[in-house]
Amino acid sequence: MTRILANRVRVWLLVGLFAASVVLSGSISTTAQAQDKDPIKIGFSMALTGALAGGGQQSLLAMQIWAEDINKKGGLLGRQVELVFYDDQTNPKNVPGIYSKLIDIDKVDLIVSGYGTNLIAPAMPIAIEREMVFMGLFGMDNNSKWKYEKYFQILPAGPDPAVGFSQYWFEAVAGLKPKTIAVIAADAEFAQNLKKGAVTNAEKMGLEIVYEQNYNPKTADFTPILRAANAKKPDVIYIASYPNGSAGLVRALAEVGTDAKAVGGGMVGLQFSGLMAGLGPMLNGISNYDFFVPEPTMDLYPGAGDLIKRYQAKVKEDNLKVDALGYYLVPWSYAYVDILGQAVNAVGSLDQDAIADYIRDTKFSTVVGDVKFGKNGEWDRSRTIVVQYQGIENNDLEQFAKPGTRKIMLPADISTGELQTFGALRK
Amino acid sequence: MKYRFEIICLLLIVGLFVLTQVVGNQFYFFIGFVILQYMVMATAWNILGGYGGYVNFGSAGFLATGAYTAVALINFLDVGLVEQMIAGGIFAGLLGFATGYLTLRLRGVYFAIATLALAIILETIVAHWDYVGGAAGTSILPKRKPELLGELIVDRKAGLFGNYKEFLFFLMGTVAILSVWVARYIENSKLGRGLNAIKDSEEAAECMGVPTLRLKLIATTISGAMMGVAGAPLASYLTFIDPLSAFNLEYAINAIAMPMIGGTVSWAGPVIGALLLGTAQQVSSLWIQSELNLLIVGVVLVVFVIIAPEGIIGWFRKSRQGSSR
Repeated sequence: MTRILANRVRVWLLVGLFAASVVLSGSISTTAQAQDKDPIKIGFSMALTGALAGGGQQSLLAMQIWAEDINKKGGLLGRQVELVFYDDQTNPKNVPGIYSKLIDIDKVDLIVSGYGTNLIAPAMPIAIEREMVFMGLFGMDNNSKWKYEKYFQILPAGPDPAVGFSQYWFEAVAGLKPKTIAVIAADAEFAQNLKKGAVTNAEKMGLEIVYEQNYNPKTADFTPILRAANAKKPDVIYIASYPNGSAGLVRALAEVGTDAKAVGGGMVGLQFSGLMAGLGPMLNGISNYDFFVPEPTMDLYPGAGDLIKRYQAKVKEDNLKVDALGYYLVPWSYAYVDILGQAVNAVGSLDQDAIADYIRDTKFSTVVGDVKFGKNGEWDRSRTIVVQYQGIENNDLEQFAKPGTRKIMLPADISTGELQTFGALRK
Repeated sequence: MKYRFEIICLLLIVGLFVLTQVVGNQFYFFIGFVILQYMVMATAWNILGGYGGYVNFGSAGFLATGAYTAVALINFLDVGLVEQMIAGGIFAGLLGFATGYLTLRLRGVYFAIATLALAIILETIVAHWDYVGGAAGTSILPKRKPELLGELIVDRKAGLFGNYKEFLFFLMGTVAILSVWVARYIENSKLGRGLNAIKDSEEAAECMGVPTLRLKLIATTISGAMMGVAGAPLASYLTFIDPLSAFNLEYAINAIAMPMIGGTVSWAGPVIGALLLGTAQQVSSLWIQSELNLLIVGVVLVVFVIIAPEGIIGWFRKSRQGSSR
């Protein structure tokens, strides 16, 4: 009898275990709270954990600030805005299911992409199939294959993003009169696209590629790669890397050193506060792409400075565990939803065709200045900047919030410094 | 009735087709596809691991073989989904045979490590194979209006299925049902009994005349082929594939956890495990927190190892035996 009772208890325990998971699932929601009845829902996946979480988390906060702002102004079409989002864990495998849920279950009205090329790619076909406007956040050339007319990308890399992304870096290092180049790139879609563009620019400049190496994104020790590159004695080294690889390569540079006159170019992650503070003086001399830095000439983005101040205050006040400075992604994450919002209000409806037509034909005024989209939904011109890390003395994060540590080399009209050789700044 | 199980299988396939015609919400086909894919993976793993006692940690490698065979065929010949699945099954089956031939003289933990190493080797090869996208991955644009034997399969108005997700769901459901049928057939056949004998004691089985190496080779081939078939539509499902997605450790963990939870002694165990765990994972991923899904697997697995080491099937059998005393 006792045995039968024990068995029954076990059965109910098991049933309870599974029931609990299902019930729990219904009771907890990650979506933001609607502030009004019948809000306009904007759905997206975001890398809140995993390799790109550093970018994904700051993007989300910027988007939430935009939602607060737009709701204070009365929302879109007189309705409040609600952000509905799920963590894609920086794993493309999770993205199709998330967008299907957003559209079919959560019934979102609009969709935007998560952060990063690899996370945008799996969402593209769903947007295309549903014929929805799809705003992209920092995807590299995602639409070159699809040529989807309702896709728009906020990455300011120009109509040919792979080439436009590194164009200024090559123009900047041209002053050092290089003849040879080494190219090191992560084996990932974004980095490989960057590499293709860099090779095109190098060939245009007549540089001889003496070393070309892809590395596995899981690589931990980069010293063998750098030693192999150094053995070819390149005049400059172009690196296209993701955050983990960028940090590893900077550490390897500190250990191995190089005689190359310029190093950097397409290193993602060096713009993140955590990495900048962690690497500190090891960054000196590296020249890299960027989009917004606290230099006085960046006033060409009139709203960005204020937005970043609000973001930084929010991070401090709420003690949030996100990027403390937010220079890299905050203005752009705000802008890409803002453009969508402006288009919806201007069109006066949620008609996806009309919204897409409006975005395609309009020059938008945003926190990142004027934005006009061109071929394949990319920016009609490149506005990537080249900075060089200079005068970094310690690991204090605050120094990166002030002018002088990331001086702008190009474009010339907002330049705040002269490119120095890598070795001259490594003391 | 002699063919009762086969009739039920046929009815289920018809039922799946009806579902695709009456359910309008595509999201259910998305999560249904994933759960059914896990059902095939769990069933395939159980043929070698459950019946034969050989633990395969490289399930993701077989699944990815199917997926990348499909990608290569799309790039090379632009073939349809059914052909991709057949080819994926053949290549993964051959890989299973080769793996079996090379590693089945290893036992226990050594065999498990060898299969894990196989997955790592395959991932490295794929990461450096630019034709299928290399480490960067590649986007796959499914055919807008695929045809099979002259019949329009997917078309909003005139096709058998209204959209591609319905077609994928139906195909994976059919494969899941067929794989369960194969597993049940093996379980009741000489092959199954031979594998059970190997599981209990390989030396004793050999002494009794069981052709152990041959049976194990057959099991690895069938198991690998089934995983390959399950993996072939992955590229079409995700529309983007990279080694990170295809060789994800989650597949290997789930392929082991699902039969362990459902019970490894019978074909029904992996089915129950996949349905319960697959559903719980999908629900947790999209309604609670995405990273919770692996935690759920871990917690449920620990609970089962402690209170029901033979899985749900074994537990119910014990309960029934206990109450009949």
